[in-house]
Formats: sequence, C-alpha cells, structure tokens
Amino acid sequence: MNKEGMNSYSDTVNELLARYGVRFGIYKNGTFKEQLFPLDIIPRKIGQKEVEYLEKGLKQRVMALNEFIKDIYGEKKIIRNNVIPEEFVYMGSGYLAQCEGVCPAKEIYTHISGIDLVQAKDGQWFVLEDNLRIPSGASYPMIARDICRKSSPAIFEKNAIYENRNYAKMLRKAMDHVNVGGHTVILTPGRYNAAYFEHSYLAEHTGAHLVTGNELVVENDHLYFVDYSGRKEKVGAVYRRISDEYLDPMNFNSESVIGIPHIYDIYRKGNVSLMNAPGNGVADDKGIYYFVPEMISYYLDEEPILHNAPTYLPFYEKDMKYVIENFDDLVLKDVAEAGGYGVVFGQGMTKDEKERFISMLKKEPRRFIAQEVIDFRDIDIFEDGEKVPRKADLRAFVLMAEEPMVWKSGLTRFSRNPDSFIVNSSQGGGFKDTWVLENDLSPTIL
Amino acid sequence: MLRLDYQYNMQLSFAKPVNRHHFTLRCFPADNERQKITYQDINITPSYVGGEETDSFGNHCIYGLIEGEHTDFNVNVSGKAYVYGDVFLPVEPSHRIGMFRYHTGLTDMGPSLYEIYEKLPYKDDIRNDVQKVALQWMNIIYDSIKYVQGITQINTSAEEAAALSMGVCQDYAHIFLALLRHEHIPCRYVVGMMMGEGASHAWIEVSDGEKWIALDPTNNCPVDDRYINISHGRDAKDCTINQGFFYGLPEQLQEIHVVVEESSND
Amino acid sequence: MAILSVEHSDQLYWLGRYSERVYTTIKEFAKRFDSMIELREHDYDEYCKAQDIPNIYSSKDDFIKRYCFDESDPNSIHANLIRAYDNAVVLREEIGSETLAYIQLAIYAMNKAKSSDAPLIQLQRVVDNIVAFWGMADDSIDSESVRSLIKLGKRVERIDLYARMNMGHSELKRELKRLNTRIGRTGLRYSSVKLAHLNYLAEMENTPKDMIIEEIESLFDEDINTLDGK
Repeated sequence: MNKEGMNSYSDTVNELLARYGVRFGIYKNGTFKEQLFPLDIIPRKIGQKEVEYLEKGLKQRVMALNEFIKDIYGEKKIIRNNVIPEEFVYMGSGYLAQCEGVCPAKEIYTHISGIDLVQAKDGQWFVLEDNLRIPSGASYPMIARDICRKSSPAIFEKNAIYENRNYAKMLRKAMDHVNVGGHTVILTPGRYNAAYFEHSYLAEHTGAHLVTGNELVVENDHLYFVDYSGRKEKVGAVYRRISDEYLDPMNFNSESVIGIPHIYDIYRKGNVSLMNAPGNGVADDKGIYYFVPEMISYYLDEEPILHNAPTYLPFYEKDMKYVIENFDDLVLKDVAEAGGYGVVFGQGMTKDEKERFISMLKKEPRRFIAQEVIDFRDIDIFEDGEKVPRKADLRAFVLMAEEPMVWKSGLTRFSRNPDSFIVNSSQGGGFKDTWVLENDLSPTIL
Repeated sequence: MLRLDYQYNMQLSFAKPVNRHHFTLRCFPADNERQKITYQDINITPSYVGGEETDSFGNHCIYGLIEGEHTDFNVNVSGKAYVYGDVFLPVEPSHRIGMFRYHTGLTDMGPSLYEIYEKLPYKDDIRNDVQKVALQWMNIIYDSIKYVQGITQINTSAEEAAALSMGVCQDYAHIFLALLRHEHIPCRYVVGMMMGEGASHAWIEVSDGEKWIALDPTNNCPVDDRYINISHGRDAKDCTINQGFFYGLPEQLQEIHVVVEESSND
Repeated sequence: MAILSVEHSDQLYWLGRYSERVYTTIKEFAKRFDSMIELREHDYDEYCKAQDIPNIYSSKDDFIKRYCFDESDPNSIHANLIRAYDNAVVLREEIGSETLAYIQLAIYAMNKAKSSDAPLIQLQRVVDNIVAFWGMADDSIDSESVRSLIKLGKRVERIDLYARMNMGHSELKRELKRLNTRIGRTGLRYSSVKLAHLNYLAEMENTPKDMIIEEIESLFDEDINTLDGK
C-alpha cells in the first residue's frame, strides 16, 4: 500500500473505531474521562513457527500457575519443599486467607490469563508479567479486525491470517466449561470503569448478560438474576470484571457497594462459578513472577519454554548487591502496582533520587523487583504519514476450558513516545492488531 | 475441667427502619479438642433466609438476608460446654500455618510497638521455649497498656493502641500478635467468652510447633477452663462477630451481653 | 436470552424517551428558528413557555446557543442527547453495537453542530442519526420486549411533548392509539384506569393539557418513573 492509501485507510479505520465507541476510561485529576484508543493500522505479524513456540510456552506457563494457586490454597507443597519462600506468598497483596481450602469448579483458577511478552532485538521472547486477576484488552483486536476487514478486504484476501474474532467463542467455551447450571453473566463495576467498553462488547459477543452487582441477589444458597417482571433466574457462572476486594462486602471489603453480598459464601459451596477465581492474584504478584520458571519445573517436571526477563530479587542478598552495583542498567518495579505505575528506570534518576531509592530498597527489599532493561525489537507505526519505529509489547491471552487455549492473536500495545518503554493504555499509548499468519511467508501488503 | 452454661446475646437497634439486611454471624462455639458443646440453642430474629457454613479458618458461621423493613436485629445463643483447661489445640505442620506468621494491616509494626519490643526479654530464646518467653512478654504488654474502654475502636491497629497506651482486649491481643510476628512466631487471634458477665472477649494463641498455647494478655494469665472459644483468625477482622450490609443509613446501637457460669444442675 | 433486569428495562424506556425528546425538540426548534431569523426576535419566549422550561436566555442568539448546545443547561437539546447516550451505552448487549453506534454518531454530529455557523444543517444530521437509530433498533433487535420498551418510551414522550406544545387533538389521538397498541407488549405494569382516562381526555375538543401531562407521567408503577426523572 502506498502512503496515500495508508493515510486514507488509517482515517477510515479510526473513524469506524469512533463510530463504535471504542474507548477506555482514565481518571485524570480525579475526574473520569473516556479516550478513544487509537489503532495503528500496521499490524504486528507473527509467523506460524513462532506461534507454535509461543503457544506451547504459554500453555505450559498457565498450567503451572494454575497448579501453583491450587497448591497454595491447598496442600502448600511448594512451600514445604522450600521452592518459594513463604513470605512472597503471604505478604503479597494477592493472597487471600478467605480462599484457603476452597477449590473452584474443575480446579480452574486461571480461566482468562493475559501474559505480557516482549521480543528482544535478537528475536527472543521474554515474559514480562503474568496478569491473572482481571486481564483486559481482548476486545480491541477483535473489533479492530472487524473494521480492518471491512475497510480493506484485499489485504485479508491476499494474506492467510488466523481469525481472531473467535475470542468470544473461546470465552463462551471457558464460561460453559465451569458453569454449574444457570445463566452466564459478566459482572461490571459500571460504565465508569476503564474497561467498560470491553465488558459490554464481550457481553454482546458471548451472549452473556452484562450486569452490575445490584442486579444479582443471593438467596437460598444460589445466585439469581432478577428479571424486571420480578422473576428470578439462576446464574451458574459469573465472569466478574471487578476485583476480589470489591466482590462481596460480607467476605472482603465491607465498604464495597458494587459487589454482591454472600456471593463468596455460595461460591465456596460450589453453587456458582467465579471467573477468574478469587485469590488467584497470589500468582501474578511481581515477586512471585521470579519463581515461575521454578514452578514449571516443580509442578510439571518440564523445562520452561518461555523465559522471564532477567530478574533480581533484592530480598536475596546476592541480588541486592547486584542491584545496587548495576542500578543504572535496571528497571525497578513495585510489586504491588500495575498498569505501568510504580515502574522506574535506574538510568533516569538523579544522584539524590538514587540514594533515596536504594535506602527504601534496603528497608523494604520485598517490595521491589529489578530487571535488566530488554532492548525491545522496535515495531513500525504509522504516524503523520510516516513509518516510525516504536517500542511495543504483546499481551497474549490464554483461556482455560478442558485444555488451555491460546488465542491466535493478542493485544499489541505501543508507546507513542519514541523514548518510552511503557506501553500501557493508561499511559497514553495505542494498539495494533496482531496477525498470526498461517504460514511463515512475509505478508504481501503492509 | 469445668461445665459451663453460656448465653450470648446481641441486640442491634436502628433509629430508623432498614431493609435488605445481609448478615454473617460468627458467634457459635463449636466442638474442638478443648471444649465439647453438649447443647446449643440459636435464636435469630427477625426471620431470614440463609444458610450455614464453615469459613476458611474453620469457624462456624450463619448468614442470611432479612428482606423487609425492621428496626431490631437480635441474636441469642445459649448452650452448655465442657471445657478442658489443660488441653491445647493441635497445630498443623509449619508449612500450612504460614499465614499466621505475617503481619496483617492491624498488626503492622510502628514506632510505639518498637518501643515495647525493645523492652522484651529473652528474644533469642523464644524459638526454644515459646510458652515461657511468651508469658514474660505478656507481662510487659500488660504493664504497658492501660485497660480503658471507649478510646479505641474496632479498626484501631496495634500501633495506634500502643501509641495511646490504652485499649481493650482486642488491642492487647493485636499488640501481642504484632510483637510475636515481628519474630516470625505463628500466632492467631481468638474470640470467645470468659466466665462472668459482660461482653465477648478476645485473646491470642501462639504456636510452639505442636500446640496452640492460649494466653489472655488483657488479664495477664494463661487461658484455662473458664474460657470458651468461638472463633480464630489472623486478626479481629477475620473474627468479626456480626458483619452486616443493609439499605438505609440510620444511627445504630449494638449491645452485647454475655453470661458464662458454672452449670448448677445435674 | 429474553431476561431483562429492572435497571435495563428502565434504561430502555428512558432511551426511548430521550431520543424522542431530542428528535421532536429539534424539529420544533427548527420551525422557531426559521421565524426568528428576521421576524420575531422574541419567539423563544413563547417556545420556553410551551415547553415548560425556564426562560433563562438573554437574547435570540443566547437562546440558540444555549438551548441547543449547552451541556450544562439541563433543558438543552444537547443535555437530552447526552441522557439518551448515557442510557444507550449501558445497553450494548441488549440493542447491539450497530444500533448503539447511531446514538454515538448523533453525539458526534451534535458536537459538530455546536461549532458550525449554520447549526440547523448539522442538527439535521443529529435527527438523521436518531431516525437511523430507531430504524436499526426495529430491524435488528430480536427481543420484542426490548424493542417495545424503547418504543413505549418514545410514545409516552411524544404524547407529553405534543400536549405541552398544544399540538392539536388529532395528532394526540393518533399518538395515543399507537401507545394503546404498544403498552401491552412490554410486560410492564401500568394503570389501565389512567390509560382509559387519557383516551377519554384526548377525545375532548379543547384538550386539557395539564391533565394529560399529569396522567401520562404517572401511567406506570413508581418503579419505572423514579429513574433519571425528566
């Protein structure tokens, strides 16, 4: 496609995104604003061989994470065998004592996982983060694909690209797999949530009902949806897009007004499925991330296929020493933060800041992890009529039904700022469609 | 061993009617190694729809929903128990009780707790003889805090109470837990009833690796057969006696009245 | 799939009402605008009276600007369109992305009209999108109760507006007839006594405006009338 063609294609596509109200919410200075989430028309392309590798690695990783959560709230073998120091479990914000001894339907804790990866200049992939609580973003590539196919059918005619709008079908399969009898609903905190567009879009495409907490009620140990005529309909699975602490004021944060009183009590009894399972955040803590490769060997007795970015835990004395000595080359992450917050680069700090940070690190060594700054492979984006290279990551989605399923697409987020490594949408980036090619030939257009 | 009759009565009154009142109650003594409940009668009004369950710590709960408008919520639990004062509850293997080794928000350390910590003797010995050292520590805590009602609240942290040097049984217990956890000794919060007349009571249990040694820092004494266990958890939050959620925001008044006495008949 | 919560049934009803309010008030405004261009500078005063909204406007130009486009004026057309959007955006899985898109497009058109020298041309685009929205809703929504709730809101609003604007009794009668056929298909509880009274009132030569407004606004259980107000 020539430059003019790309320009008009880009305009058409973004106009259609606006038509469908594709946006995400952000809070700026305390007020809620919705922004359009800009799509860059140059897709990220992943070849068949590469995808086979990623698929294997992702399935393996999510299986191990699921085993880990089951173990932590059950037998705790991994602690007994000293593979993971217990303080990383019990001091992490994701551990919930209320989940002790609770086993969800089909032993699935990680129904929907969003694994963030980056590709280094030499082509090697690294996992940066496992998002297991309520990972979002799948709706954007779905609707982008829909729009791009409309705007430029020729591209899709000439390239063999895996369908990605089947995400809704995969999600429905994951929902049906654990549904214990009754309707399936998607529970949203409401329209002022950052991901409300996604909640409503996934509801439309999976055929699940989009509900807020006050539309559901627990009665006689079952969950019901109350119809406007007063009829009560049983609910068997809840894909909840609200976090653990707000889920049930009777069992978690008692101040929550967006939750459903007693939903957790009947979940414990197996009368409704919650996806993802409460308490699964114990496995997506940034401190726990360090141990995932060991988890894979421990639970599956396999070599980890995907690699972590080289990570150091200041908790270990040896690592603390390394971190202080190599401070300028590292990125430091607060284990309690997400969404690109609490991330600092050693290089960007003044001497003063550095000293302050290191003394904080010494005081609370468990609070931070340090990682080598990976030299990402740049990806072209189309900006002001030019192709320019930018940093980008890939959020891969793994859904669990009978078997783990890897979505043959993903959310590629890029940074608008040429010098920035932070690609989160809440930090002002954009996104790309992710094409998984049915062969390894280079695509003919774009 | 003592044979005790107990009565637990909670009256919650609202200045204006509330409705859609959800509740979870955790005020029911259950059988364990140190106590046998031979009889228990539970009366909850107004009528509700709900169920029973055992929470993650093994505490017995009754939960439910009162749909219509009401201004009173009453819970009466009465029963008879055999209590064995010289028996301790057994401890699970170390790797399974890790959650009791770490601070929760209510037991986080702070400057006032460190001040008490500095005064504690035999820190190096605590792992060898928990029972003996914990008794010594309890003395210090007892001397550092004055029993005063109405100053601290349900969500007062150990550090806040230590800064005031005042509090009630909940605060004594939290301070004790904070100091033990600072040494990574597994310990837990216990709610129960004590012989006499008054409110519900709280104390702690600390693990020596085999058994949960129960100590009452408010009275500076080991827990014996005058104490009936109701629930345990990491801190007071895990043991909330009455968790409620309702529509309406009226003033509310909660009165708890507990009577425990030695059985007189047969 | 045909289960609907109280919240969503309310939102569908109000989506119908606000979309109708935007549609009819733009049409009415267009008439007035025409006569205001060079003739009757103070026509808007009468308009405000008829609409039962406070005349807070200082001049013809002020009226055009604020009544049409001031989001913070609760009686403005723009504010009503935003209310329609607020109800629509939470109904994506009931009405579908394709239908919802037309309300979104109406919002964009309204924003364009705001900065235009010839607002009437752009306001026509708002009307176009509202009409397309109704057509799409009718065509693509499978559930009859969902469709009917939107239409019911539309009918109720139209009767209310026509009564306020003294539209004349043949128009009112026509709208009431359509309401009578629609109301039973929604599954909503309504007062049949009030509906009969409305039918009777519409037959009268000098339609008693206030009574009609009172009856139409209290036709349903308090359930459906409490949300969002007017």
